[in-house]
Amino acid sequence: MLDLDLELHQGSFTLQGRLTLEQPVSGLFGPSGCGKSTLLRAIAGLTRPQAGYINLDGIPLFDARKRIDLPPHRRRVGLVFQDSPLFPHLSVRHNLLYGFKLLPSAQRQFTPTQVVDLLDIGHLLHRRPRHLSGGERQRVALGRTLLASPRLLLLDEPLAALDEGLKQQILPFLRRVRDELRLPMLYVSHAINEILYLTPHLAVMEQGRILGQGPFLEVIRQDHILGLARSLGLENVLQVTVSRHEPDTGCTTVRYDHHELHLPLSALPPGTETWIALRAADVALARHPIADITIQNQVPGRVVGLRRIADRVLAEVDVGVPILAEITVKAIHDLGLMEGDTVYCLFKARAWHYLGTA
Amino acid sequence: MWPSLQPTPEELTALWLSLKIGLWCTALIAVPGIVTGWLLARIRFPGKALVDGLVHLPLVLPPVVPGYLLLLLLGRQGPIGRWLYETWGIALAFTWQGAVVASALMAFPLMVRAVRLAVTLVEPRLEEAARTLGAGPLRVWLTVTVPLSLPGILTGLVLAFARSLGEFGATVTFVGNVAGETRTLPLAIYTYTQIPGGDGPALRLVVISILLALAALWISELGARRVERMLGNRRT
Repeated sequence: MLDLDLELHQGSFTLQGRLTLEQPVSGLFGPSGCGKSTLLRAIAGLTRPQAGYINLDGIPLFDARKRIDLPPHRRRVGLVFQDSPLFPHLSVRHNLLYGFKLLPSAQRQFTPTQVVDLLDIGHLLHRRPRHLSGGERQRVALGRTLLASPRLLLLDEPLAALDEGLKQQILPFLRRVRDELRLPMLYVSHAINEILYLTPHLAVMEQGRILGQGPFLEVIRQDHILGLARSLGLENVLQVTVSRHEPDTGCTTVRYDHHELHLPLSALPPGTETWIALRAADVALARHPIADITIQNQVPGRVVGLRRIADRVLAEVDVGVPILAEITVKAIHDLGLMEGDTVYCLFKARAWHYLGTA
Repeated sequence: MWPSLQPTPEELTALWLSLKIGLWCTALIAVPGIVTGWLLARIRFPGKALVDGLVHLPLVLPPVVPGYLLLLLLGRQGPIGRWLYETWGIALAFTWQGAVVASALMAFPLMVRAVRLAVTLVEPRLEEAARTLGAGPLRVWLTVTVPLSLPGILTGLVLAFARSLGEFGATVTFVGNVAGETRTLPLAIYTYTQIPGGDGPALRLVVISILLALAALWISELGARRVERMLGNRRT
């Protein structure tokens, strides 16, 4: 689908990377300022890379060596920014139809009625953009881009300017776009939850480089992504199924493999698959299960790796999935831990946090 | 002692002449002014500083200087003026068309400055959004850049018209002070102040000038309100 390899310099900032997206919906994840937006602008044709190529469905959009550089209006790549500006001199209706009217009818994939219904913006059609709320504006911007029938929809932090309540209102619309319109999408965000809500397939970027891509769990466990994962508290990520809620005790029980874990109470319906994350520093290790302790989760496993990083040790414990525990050198010595030892991983229920739903 | 308010035919001629020259001048520089203002605001090209300087020169020179240069270039003996006359039979020196050229030259920088400022204020992201929606550069210009710059364009046109009404130095140098042909309101007022008993007509023309200026301001305010409504900046 999308295949690129490019190099782009802007002042002292350099963007460099390869990316091949095979999945209809993919995420691009990375901290703020890592070059995600620049990459999207290059794909849309708004910023020109110095070298490399960008192919979409086998058609070259850009190729420095062959001197191909399709202008943005001929790429048919839709771009929705964070806080997308609507045309202030046009009504919502004419904003929506701006790209639609420029397209030969044979190339139109969706009808205005379909998009208006999907995004629930029928009551806004005669308003001016300045009379819309942030959430309404973003839905109109999305609709305007959808009606231009892009071959690829780029979403650049489309929810970043909205408050938490509005995000929860817009995310379902994005899912409907994914499921009902079947439009290829690349969703860019520094919030992993938003990406995971739409797709488990993602690429990870940091400081202008694409560090890796693939299914979330595989990517996040790659060694060279560990530093980024650590800074984001994503060293340990499990995909689990919600089994039951116990409001009385304030616990939700989830399952992975044959283990059960106790987590903080969540609102997810039982049976939902979700991702949960835990910092490596929040994992304690013990030789034996410990009674009389507040820690709710004690999972047996085998030490498969001990790596010294600066003043601490990163222990990898196989409990069915690899769990990383960050402990001091002293603790390793006191316990006499060796590779191959059997240990119990201790997780406080409240140290886990939910990432999103599949 | 207090003069009659009834203008003489000669004074009315000066009024209509001023209006005619002002409107022609405004019409003449509208499109080039929009294009130049946009170029200076958005496009980087070699020699931009030179173009910028040349456009603004009439604003900072004594008006007599551009007027005299026009006479040298476009006068019957000037290189361009002779060619215009011999090839097309067009004479600019000492004709009202020449007055249009003189005031257009003087008004052009005001128009360009107003447009340039307005274009600078148009959010580039709007133009980028239009491009990713499938609009080519010309369409983006016509459907986004120009409509959103309309308040500045309108201001520029009003300033240009006002500048043309007030034009004196370049006009008198290039096309002289020919009654019925190039004697606009300011030239007529000046002429009357130079002859005995001219105070009455001069005062009447002063009143007319003030009324004309107020009318122009009023019309431009109406236009500005319409434009603001169109741009959605003001509640209807």
